[in-house]
Amino acid sequence: MRAIIFSICACLALASPEESAQEFFAGSSNHTNNWAVLISASKYWFNYRHMSNTLALYRTVKRLGIPDSNIIMMLADDAACNPRNRDAANVYPSPGGVDLYGDNIEVDYRGYEVTVENVIRLLTGRQDPSVPRSKRLLTDDRSNIFVYMTGHGGNEFLKFQDSEEISAHDVGDAFAQMWEKKRYHEIFFMIDTCQASSMYSQLHSPNIFATGSSQVGENSYSYHNDHTIGVSLIDRYTHYILGFLENVNKTSHATMQDFFDYYDTTAIGSHPGVRSDLFARPLNETLITDFFGGVAHVEVSNSDCTPVFGDVVEEEAPVRSKETMVVKAAPPSSPQPTTVDGKGIRAWGSFGLIGLILSWVAFRTSGS
Amino acid sequence: MQTPSSSAVAVGLVASRLLLATATSATDYLIHDHQLSSPLTSFRNLQEGIYLFNHGINPYSGGVFRHSPLYLSLFATVLPSSKTFASILWTFCDVVGAWALVKIWHARQNVSSTPRDGLIAASYLLNPYLVLPSLALSTSSLENTLTLLSVMFAAQGRASAALLLMAVQFHLSLSTLILIPPLLMLLISTPASSLALPKPFTGSTNRLPALIIEFTAYALGLTAASTLVCNGFSWVPQTWGATLTLPDLTPNPGLWWYFFTEMFDHFRDFFLMVFSVHLLIYVAPVCVKFQYDPLFATFVLAGVLGIFKAYPTLSDPGLFISMISLFPEIYPHLRHPLVTALLHLHAALLLPLFHQLWLMQGTGNANFFYASTLVFACGNGAALIDCVRAGLRLAIGKEVEGMVVIQE
Amino acid sequence: MDRLLAKFRAPKTGNPHLVRIQRRDKIIALVTARLRLIVALLFIAGYAWMLILPTIPTETTDKIDENALLPAQINTQWNWDEVHAADRYLDQLEHLRDTNASSAERALYLQTEFLKLGLDASTQSYTFSTVVGDSTGVNAYALLAAPRTPGAEAIIISASWQSRTGEGDGTLNLRGVATVLSMASFVRRYSHWAKDLVFVVSDGYLDGMQAWLSAYHGVSQPNLLADNLDIATSVVWVALNVDYPGHSFSHLGIFHEGLNGRLPNQDLLRSFRRISRQTGGSPVILYDHIDNRDNHKSLGMLGSMLPSWLQTPILSIPQVRKYIYHASNVLQHANYQARGIGSGTHALFHKYRIDAFTMYALPATGPHGFHTLGKVLESTLRTANNMLERLHASLFFYMLTSSDFSLKIGMFLPSVICVSVAMMFHGLGIWTSAGWTQIAATATELEKSKIVVARRIRPTLPVLAIMAMTHAVGAVLFYLVNTSAIATSSFRQVLVGLVIATLPMVLSANPKVASAQQDEDTQATVAVTLKALNICLASTVISILSVLNFSLAASLAVLLGVTLCIPIPSGSSAKWVAYVAYSALGLGWLAIPGEVERMVWGWQMLGVWTCPIVCMIYTPLVLQAVIVCKLT
Repeated sequence: MRAIIFSICACLALASPEESAQEFFAGSSNHTNNWAVLISASKYWFNYRHMSNTLALYRTVKRLGIPDSNIIMMLADDAACNPRNRDAANVYPSPGGVDLYGDNIEVDYRGYEVTVENVIRLLTGRQDPSVPRSKRLLTDDRSNIFVYMTGHGGNEFLKFQDSEEISAHDVGDAFAQMWEKKRYHEIFFMIDTCQASSMYSQLHSPNIFATGSSQVGENSYSYHNDHTIGVSLIDRYTHYILGFLENVNKTSHATMQDFFDYYDTTAIGSHPGVRSDLFARPLNETLITDFFGGVAHVEVSNSDCTPVFGDVVEEEAPVRSKETMVVKAAPPSSPQPTTVDGKGIRAWGSFGLIGLILSWVAFRTSGS
Repeated sequence: MQTPSSSAVAVGLVASRLLLATATSATDYLIHDHQLSSPLTSFRNLQEGIYLFNHGINPYSGGVFRHSPLYLSLFATVLPSSKTFASILWTFCDVVGAWALVKIWHARQNVSSTPRDGLIAASYLLNPYLVLPSLALSTSSLENTLTLLSVMFAAQGRASAALLLMAVQFHLSLSTLILIPPLLMLLISTPASSLALPKPFTGSTNRLPALIIEFTAYALGLTAASTLVCNGFSWVPQTWGATLTLPDLTPNPGLWWYFFTEMFDHFRDFFLMVFSVHLLIYVAPVCVKFQYDPLFATFVLAGVLGIFKAYPTLSDPGLFISMISLFPEIYPHLRHPLVTALLHLHAALLLPLFHQLWLMQGTGNANFFYASTLVFACGNGAALIDCVRAGLRLAIGKEVEGMVVIQE
Repeated sequence: MDRLLAKFRAPKTGNPHLVRIQRRDKIIALVTARLRLIVALLFIAGYAWMLILPTIPTETTDKIDENALLPAQINTQWNWDEVHAADRYLDQLEHLRDTNASSAERALYLQTEFLKLGLDASTQSYTFSTVVGDSTGVNAYALLAAPRTPGAEAIIISASWQSRTGEGDGTLNLRGVATVLSMASFVRRYSHWAKDLVFVVSDGYLDGMQAWLSAYHGVSQPNLLADNLDIATSVVWVALNVDYPGHSFSHLGIFHEGLNGRLPNQDLLRSFRRISRQTGGSPVILYDHIDNRDNHKSLGMLGSMLPSWLQTPILSIPQVRKYIYHASNVLQHANYQARGIGSGTHALFHKYRIDAFTMYALPATGPHGFHTLGKVLESTLRTANNMLERLHASLFFYMLTSSDFSLKIGMFLPSVICVSVAMMFHGLGIWTSAGWTQIAATATELEKSKIVVARRIRPTLPVLAIMAMTHAVGAVLFYLVNTSAIATSSFRQVLVGLVIATLPMVLSANPKVASAQQDEDTQATVAVTLKALNICLASTVISILSVLNFSLAASLAVLLGVTLCIPIPSGSSAKWVAYVAYSALGLGWLAIPGEVERMVWGWQMLGVWTCPIVCMIYTPLVLQAVIVCKLT
């Protein structure tokens, strides 16, 4: 059944509108839509900077044209509304800077929803049917995805919520599954944490390139400590790359090579790493806007089939599990009434039984 | 049964115990203590279970009540579960336990009264490891009494009573299972001391099948009673199952809880099995080695239980320590009694201290308390090993100048 | 090393058991033959360790373990307006002082001021009755609920009416109170408080806060009659106690020891130190000990103990000066901790699991005042406000040698443990040798020249009974000193001491005990057995106490260590000297003027354990030594 649906969809997907789009983008990255997954994995007030890192990149990708519907933002804590925040409902990347929180942001996963499991489910698409559309990564094999993570990390792991970790293997496997399920066209993976380069060491799927704020064995540092708010506002690496990204606009022809050449280890305080061996195109022909910008104008028609494809496969199994849940829920109620009824009788009955055994023993003992 | 002066002492002891339990608030202070009552023996959990039962809720449907249904059928019918009554009942049980200990001593010596009676009763009634759990109304005190009564009947050769009580005890605390083999051996031989004269087992082994069948029948009868009282087998995973699967990791003075809080989940089942089977390992060697003195074997296995059982309280090693008074013949051969006593003194002071530092003051952590339970286990282990060694050494007789006893 | 191993290694031939036994015997002989040496070395190591504690390379107090605290990372808002407000409050407080206002009037004034600020405020009156005197007073307190959270935790900012200067001799803490009032008006203006802030001005020195905290935590104390609190909030994590007795101050001193030797979390003290230096610009010292290493004239008590002709040459060595400075801090710490009474009002908080310390403004002619203190207090409050969970358990066992350096538990605990282990070895040695007796070799065996040893029994039960008796005497003594007849009369205290000192003589006159001395060939003497068990018990007490209250254990180790272990002299007059010396050691504290009164007050009012420990553990242990002395 699945195979049939799959092949039908595949046939349809290869039909003409796709081809015309390909022609339109000849020589470019061949993607038709852009997505961004932005994750701040740390909670607590003193990790304000991780939220501000993520919000800063959110603002950038949104400014460059990725709509909110295509941005999945995960914030493990709400620094803006923390009671310790002097400027309530504001998050600043630098003292007196622009308010990143603003009045138009969309946080898709927040607080305790930001877990390793949810991240992997999001990436691989194995989500419960009840998960709303805004929390799904509805990508296809023509999607360019920008994945950004920040938090406290170490060699090949990133801490989530101070209670669990995602490992480099998890990320590598999730991307591999995405590739197998044709959930992406190209991925740009960026991570700002200590020993960040270790996090992309286990990637092994094609068409991915990655960058991280520091080498293995090296810390990444925070930037400003703001003496009004009393915490560090942003991390050095993210602060620095924002300096570049702020000068990029929707029509910019800046390439990824330009972006990486912009890195300055003295200003960042660590040695950012780049990994491009899995990536097919040369970096100096890859536009920044291929990942940060949105393909706003082109939409593949015949939408009956392509977007649904992911869901059809998914929906079959969960329905069944729902039924089993219903079946399971029934039994606990049934023994309850009987427990109420005969407890006295049963207690006395059991007591009598014990008494019976006792008297039998007493009889035997006295007899012998 | 006793000389007048010692019975007067006993009455005085019991009266002061009763006063302590009923007139002071000692019980209120101690009832929450993790060292005195485990999740399986806590009186508060028992009350909770009885309350639930009386209100028509299956007490085993939650995770709190892990007592045997036999307690339910007793406390829900004939016994009130109020604290004052419980204090009296617990004191009474301790007195019965002390009496049973004295009776075991009589059976072993084959006399009806000795000058040591008072001392033996006092070793039970004054043992702080037994007094404190009893004041805290831990059901482990009742279980100790049952064990002693069962051993007493076995020593007196009253098979049915011994087996029934053992079956009850098996229901109340699954680990007591390992006491059954030596008890059966005791039933078919004599309790008299033959530590000094080892000889092959002389009991009438042809009685064994009948005894085992009788025990099984009692156990099944009690199982039926348990099943009747809770209208199903929901009690099995909550009582016996708890001993084997350790669902409640509340700290106690034993060795299991910390180990399993640190355990990775995928090793858990394996180590649960290792820990449970480990208890069984001792049974055969001890019973074979001390086949000439099954009472001593029972004593040694009680010591093993005190160290290694799943949810111990202080009263489990306490039973072992009090039972030492039954074997005065081994005293001269104890190798390091003072060291053992000092280890116990250290452990007895460190346990409450580190418990306090961890859970009340918050200046220590679980490792502190765990370290003190290790000291406690070392103390118990030293006592057990010393007793076993002295029991074996006894047979060799007086040391000859220039000769040394070695062990193969 | 190889040679050493070869000594124990089995030769290739021969009965393996024989070899094993010989090897075991060799090791045992090696230890037992040198037991005295080992014990002596352990004693020397232990005491030497205690002596070098002030010089042990220590860790600095720069590092803050808890990430959430973020100390000294804010610009403070406290400014001259607030200083002015504090000065106005001070004027009114001085007016109250000059008009001899009663406790109730003062509390009413404070309550009114708090209410004017728009805070919930109330008063609480209390009466303590102890056998050494009663005390009454009225506390005032106020609450600022956390503006934007439910306020699941609270911080207390407190000042006692009397300063800790002179430990409550009447020096008033007016500026401390003014600081609290002004801080209350200041913090109201900000909304970034994630914790409830409670302001407490307690009456008296320690009594007011004891009453207030008991009421806050619902603890009843039989001799305390106190109002319930009208306003109470959530669980308190941190308390900052302000003590500012002078006109201006030069340094901020940290006082941190709590009741019964408890200490607050070191992260709090480290944060305070950093804040005070970076935000307040005020140097931080431990206690009121100014680091005067440049000026050896003022090196305190330890420096002045040297003869004057030695002072200049010795004190000119910088290491000596450093040692003296650190040693005076350690001694002060040991004094506060071992006596159990703590070093200020903050001491009362620790019992309720509240990390607290006193910031003590060291009186001087300048340069700091309300401006600095307010900034430091504000910033410390912000740091405490940042706390997300309780401070980590690993930072409660430490010893500060100065405000900049601290010792971890592993660096100081072994000193006491060494002494305790030495005692244990010595006691076990006596016990073992008491179990054997030497029978003189008979003439026919002369050629073998062998000493025949035989086992003998040890009178364990009578000795245990004697030990139990001494502790029972201790319990009686504890009861007696807690009666008003004895606690207030030093003559009666001395009398009680003398009576107890004669008890060992009464005991040794008892025919039963005397008869137990007979026949040394079959039975060890009571004296030897008692000595062995006494030393073992003392060792146990010391090692157990060392994790609870290191300074108390160290004091016991110093007082009892060698003293219990030295052999009793054989001459009868020397024996009497030893008898008197031991009695003086065990009961001498009864003759120190005021000491019993202080201990009883501490026990009845604050629940300090010093009195029961001294009466029921220390004195009985020494009494046992007296009995040994009498029976030998």
